Amino acid sequence: MKIALAGNPNSGKTTLFNAITGKIEHVGNWAGVTVEKKEGDVKQSLNPRNEDLIVVDLPGAYSMSPYTSEESITRDFVQNENPDVILNIVDSTNLSRSLFFTTQLLELGIPVVVALNKSDLTDKKGNTIDIPALSDALKCPVIQTISTKTANNGLLELLNAVITLGKSNKKQNSPNIGGVKKALTKEEFEKVDKKRYAFVNNIVTEVERRKVSSEKQTMQDRVDRIIAHKWLGIPIFAVIIWLVFSISQSWVGPLFADIFVGWIDLLYEGVASLLGENVNPVVGALLLDGIIGGVGAVIGFLPLIMVLFFCLALLEDSGYMARVAIVLDRFFKKVGLSGRSIIPMIIGTGCGIPGVMATRTIKNERQRRTTAMLTPFMPCGAKLPIIALFAGVFFNDNSWVGTSMYFLGIVVIIISALIIRKITGDYSRSYFIMELPEYRWPSIKRASISVLMRAKGFIIKAGTIILVCNAVVQILQTFDWQLQVVAETAPETSILASIASPLAILFIPLGFGLWQFAAAAVTGFIAKENVVGTLAVCFSITNFIDVEELALVGGSAEVSTIFGISAVAALAYLVFNLFTPPCFAAIGAMRSEMESPKWLWGAVGFQLCMGYVLAFLVYQIGTLITTGTFGTGFIGGLIAVAIIVASVGYFMRKGSKGTQISAEMKSVKV
Amino acid sequence: MMSLARGKLNTPYTVNRVNTDHEDIREFLFTLGCYPGEKVTIISKLASNYIINIKDARYSIDEDLANAILV
Repeated sequence: MKIALAGNPNSGKTTLFNAITGKIEHVGNWAGVTVEKKEGDVKQSLNPRNEDLIVVDLPGAYSMSPYTSEESITRDFVQNENPDVILNIVDSTNLSRSLFFTTQLLELGIPVVVALNKSDLTDKKGNTIDIPALSDALKCPVIQTISTKTANNGLLELLNAVITLGKSNKKQNSPNIGGVKKALTKEEFEKVDKKRYAFVNNIVTEVERRKVSSEKQTMQDRVDRIIAHKWLGIPIFAVIIWLVFSISQSWVGPLFADIFVGWIDLLYEGVASLLGENVNPVVGALLLDGIIGGVGAVIGFLPLIMVLFFCLALLEDSGYMARVAIVLDRFFKKVGLSGRSIIPMIIGTGCGIPGVMATRTIKNERQRRTTAMLTPFMPCGAKLPIIALFAGVFFNDNSWVGTSMYFLGIVVIIISALIIRKITGDYSRSYFIMELPEYRWPSIKRASISVLMRAKGFIIKAGTIILVCNAVVQILQTFDWQLQVVAETAPETSILASIASPLAILFIPLGFGLWQFAAAAVTGFIAKENVVGTLAVCFSITNFIDVEELALVGGSAEVSTIFGISAVAALAYLVFNLFTPPCFAAIGAMRSEMESPKWLWGAVGFQLCMGYVLAFLVYQIGTLITTGTFGTGFIGGLIAVAIIVASVGYFMRKGSKGTQISAEMKSVKV
Repeated sequence: MMSLARGKLNTPYTVNRVNTDHEDIREFLFTLGCYPGEKVTIISKLASNYIINIKDARYSIDEDLANAILV
């Protein structure tokens, strides 16, 4: 039996889906977290008779006439894929809007069960809903649920109703307003929809008693006035992000990291003593330095990342992120985007791939493509080890490094959006409207579950792609082209060095023209965690964050000496890795959301140029400030940057001219 | 008739017309319950946005959209 979950955005479909299937799909307290359909089996405890029950979670929709592309996934599914039962999730605090979609679903002929979700919130507000009367009016079962609770949540009852109805093979009775299945003219359609709302309004006045009318000011509205205030909004956001980075990178994170790195060291030593002296040194080095060292260097950052994601999950759960969209809308408007673009970027802070996919909630095509192109500039989870590494080694674990990279990301996105708008010559404005979720106390449990899921993904990735990459890097740097083992005194003769060296020349003006850094930047395209792994392998450093050891040898000075670059060049390298194209998987996501090869290649080219120019500026200006002269390769770099700026400028002028011409043509027509 | 952007806080207004060339935003507002004859209330004005109440939900809209909703 196929059960489709359908309902308004942020009514709790995915939370309910997770509760009945035991899966851990990403949830958040805002509209539009789910942008794809997801399937799962009902878990045993809710399905005692072991029936064949498949649940399909669908993106939220306000109606059967989709406004954005993820809404059309929902419409297409319920209309064409013949689910056996539609489980309509209704936010019980907002009957008067939600039932509009319900009445449309009732007309499809497929049996419908209504889950009145968030019923704890209705109780808290002192509202009452007459369930039997509502069920009578809709001609379908209505069951109260609280899917955030683990017991007494109404889910068993809900599934019983679904199974009974699904087996009965009865067609759904509909209130017969008409119009969902028939093709109507626009006027007829509007008439039907008005009738539909009138029908819903009648039901609501009959079944619902509200203690406080919803248009009255609440405590939440007062909180909004401060949090989303015109001038206070940005500083509040900055402090919150700084706190998140401080807790994860400086306060709580390192405590866990120390313990964790200790285990990795034990493993390293254990394997080393197991291997003993008699093992072939090449094999030993591959296993110890290549695999355990490289993967260990990446995994060592896991505790920092988990703490960071835990804090972000709490923020997402509280409803704060939707307010960030309001605060930043003003700035994004100026460059042709809107607050809508913030949501993909916030999701992109976890991982760029779902972030890019979340751009489908954006209606306007240019805005959607621009957002898909710029979302990877946010520091994703895989880039955090790079940030943490350089913050630890060169900047004494300062949390301003992470915070400033986060905000630099936002600033670069705004500047880039401005450039892209000029290049495309598309100055169209679009309206911004977004539902505001209610604040709630974030749940420690939900945040923990989401963090554990991310940690699992991280470990799997480290144990597969990153392990293989590190092994390959180790082999390539061990042998030269004659397949002879490279002498320790001449590492630059290895295959890896000879491949990466020509590339490293390009990086001289950026301050890190060493083949090791070039190799790490390249492996970073496979997965950004590789940057740290490859550096660990190339410089044979097994751990980057053992504070105890670093303290013994006089701070992190040692690792920075091994790297052989200045702190300014390190910052430039960090910037370069954050603002070059993302990993291949994220580029793949960009390709499918942009649906245009021209845009995709333009985006990758633009990202490469942006990374190069920013790293150049950071290194040269930084060196000028710290030493009083420009850094190495200034002239060569300046020429490269000048060429980039000139060609971007050319495209911008061409784009703007295009607009002028089309504007002139329009005026001629008028 | 005036635009919602010039409305006062905490005063329920009746929507008269959604004045825009974009048919889809009009339809979208309709599905949210914002159409001629229905009530809309401004809850607050934040940054460049208006927080409005339609039916039983809060939405954040920008000034352009607030200008397009005539009450």
